[in-house]
Amino acid sequence: MAPPPPGTAVQMNQAAIRTLTPYGFLVPALLVTALVILYPVAQTVLFSLQDYLLYAPDDARFVGFRNFSMALKDEVFWISLKHSAVWVGGIVFAQLSLGLVTALLLNQSFWWRGIARALVIIPWALPSVIIGLMWTWIFDFNTGVLNDLLIRIGLISQPYAWLASPQSALACVMLALVWQGFPFFAVMILAGLQTVPKELYEAAEIDGASEFRQFIHVTAPAIAGIVATAVLLRIIWVANSLDVILVMTGGGPGYTTHTLPLYAFLRAYSGMEFGYAATLALMLTILLLAIVWLYVRQQAKDLDA
Amino acid sequence: MKRRTFVKLAGASAFAGAVSAPAIAQGVTTVRWWYHYDNPQNTPAALIAKFEQANPGIKIQAEAIPWGGGTDYINRMFSSVVAGNQPDCAMVRLAYLSRFGQMRALEPLDGYLTKWAERSDISDDVWKLNRAPDGKQYYMPLHYVVIYLYYRQDLFQQAGLQPPKTFDEFLNCAKTLTKDGMYGYGMRGGGGCHDNWGPFVLGGGASFDKGGMLTDKALAANRFFVEFATKHKVVPPSAPTDAFRQIVDAFKAGRTAMTIHHIGSAAEMVGALGDKASAVPLPRGPGGGGWTYFGDESNAIFASSKVKEAAFKWVSFLSSGDGNVEQAKLSGQLPITTSGLKNWTGHPKRFVEASFASLPIAQTLPDNVKTPDFVGRVLPTNLQRALLGETNPDEVMKAVEQLFHG
Repeated sequence: MAPPPPGTAVQMNQAAIRTLTPYGFLVPALLVTALVILYPVAQTVLFSLQDYLLYAPDDARFVGFRNFSMALKDEVFWISLKHSAVWVGGIVFAQLSLGLVTALLLNQSFWWRGIARALVIIPWALPSVIIGLMWTWIFDFNTGVLNDLLIRIGLISQPYAWLASPQSALACVMLALVWQGFPFFAVMILAGLQTVPKELYEAAEIDGASEFRQFIHVTAPAIAGIVATAVLLRIIWVANSLDVILVMTGGGPGYTTHTLPLYAFLRAYSGMEFGYAATLALMLTILLLAIVWLYVRQQAKDLDA
Repeated sequence: MKRRTFVKLAGASAFAGAVSAPAIAQGVTTVRWWYHYDNPQNTPAALIAKFEQANPGIKIQAEAIPWGGGTDYINRMFSSVVAGNQPDCAMVRLAYLSRFGQMRALEPLDGYLTKWAERSDISDDVWKLNRAPDGKQYYMPLHYVVIYLYYRQDLFQQAGLQPPKTFDEFLNCAKTLTKDGMYGYGMRGGGGCHDNWGPFVLGGGASFDKGGMLTDKALAANRFFVEFATKHKVVPPSAPTDAFRQIVDAFKAGRTAMTIHHIGSAAEMVGALGDKASAVPLPRGPGGGGWTYFGDESNAIFASSKVKEAAFKWVSFLSSGDGNVEQAKLSGQLPITTSGLKNWTGHPKRFVEASFASLPIAQTLPDNVKTPDFVGRVLPTNLQRALLGETNPDEVMKAVEQLFHG
């Protein structure tokens, strides 16, 4: 059949259908996204503006931004926010460093490399609750293996209450999460390292570059994109994670291991104050969105360049 | 097969299915029941089989819900009520009654109870204790525990000490027994710390009435308790975060000479220490007052249940005769029925006697919507800060007063 003459109504309809068809294909995915993401977000925003108690849902009333102003005056909010910053910064930095070293080692050639690559993924594959329980018993004051080891090698003479001491509790919980998360960086960076062409290293070697110089000028630029993406993902995941803290200390002693999501969780499920907890969760989301925005802006600049 | 024949057959089988489905539903009624046991390896399968054999039309779908110091269980319970996915019946505690009342979540059992022949096998005191403020009976009592003091008989004998009857004697015992890597008192400052704090602070004169946490007596009692850690150092340094597992394991391992818990852990203690482990009621305060936690456990039927009759048959089976005795064995607690208690052999005698002897000072936590938050967040965080010396002990009392009375 001959195509309709240009500019006719039939051709314009066909053009409209062609333009709209992709959107039609997107509709199911958009609907699912709206249902599982936008609806809960909208509900959280709605809760944050209400005095919503889970045990008295019929008495919920609109309070505007009162929950937000309460949060800003809440001592525990600021303590939790400070701990969240230490938590995210410390854990992501330590995981990245350890993951980078592990990836560089696993990129070397040795006869049991296959087994080593499989073993290193184990902490990442374990459920957080198991990790929390495992480290709780490692750090246990009375029966923990850490105290036993340190006493045997003479570093301490008395057992130390690792999880009950304000000086060490947060660091101990962070250590557990570092252990769980460094394989993620290791695997991501390893994947990046394997895409770097060998010729670049050969050329650098001919030019007389030391191994350190090769790392700085060849390896680092090649894996920078992957590292940036991995860091962004980990920042979001670590900032939101509370399961390991909940299992190991429940946020204690006192507020020593309170982070913002944990505090929101406790207000939601211990006090059943869903309105206030939604406010805390929303404030954390806004902070995380700011980080994502900075990242996306940086990526866009790199692409333009 | 022709397409039309297939469609006919499919239609016929769908119709048959639709017709037969209600017959199956009418034949067997399924009752969803939520429970928790301290020992997660215990299962009510045998109990359910016995019930189902006696009641062929009822099937029990038992779902074990993690206890998590009470917080996990209660979180799931209230979330399920709000989501409309609650079970037909569940194990509950008196401390939740106010919240359930506010949510109008429970079915009153008075109508069923008047016709229930076994009612008189549970004492009137227990029925009174379980009655809601509106005068109705929503809870079917199941079993109970009373918090008491575990102590090491052998160490007390070696040191020439008697089990403490007063706070001062308790402190003296704890001081004497704190030596050579052992601590006199295995304090619980983590999840569930109210059952250690209560005997000394509520027993020492504090109360949940308005202003009751801020009287001189109440503040002094709380300081006395906190000073076990900050001044006398008779508790392990890990006490601020030690919870059930830690205090029991430390006592079993011989790291503490006294600890506070209930008969539910007696089997473990005896398993590790034999006759060296014994129990007595908690000591009394300076004015002779005392307080210990009455750990109640009941079943309740949810108002939303479509199978309330069947649910009542199940919960009444658990609260009567052999059903109650078996259930108490699974939970590690004491039977609620008079007949069950008479011949009870589930625990060594000395622990049962310590439980009975503790009854005169046993009380529940206040029936208040704020009680779960007191147990789960407000008391642990504030007490831990005081135990570590980060805040003045009086701040604990102010926080509790603020929670209940604003």
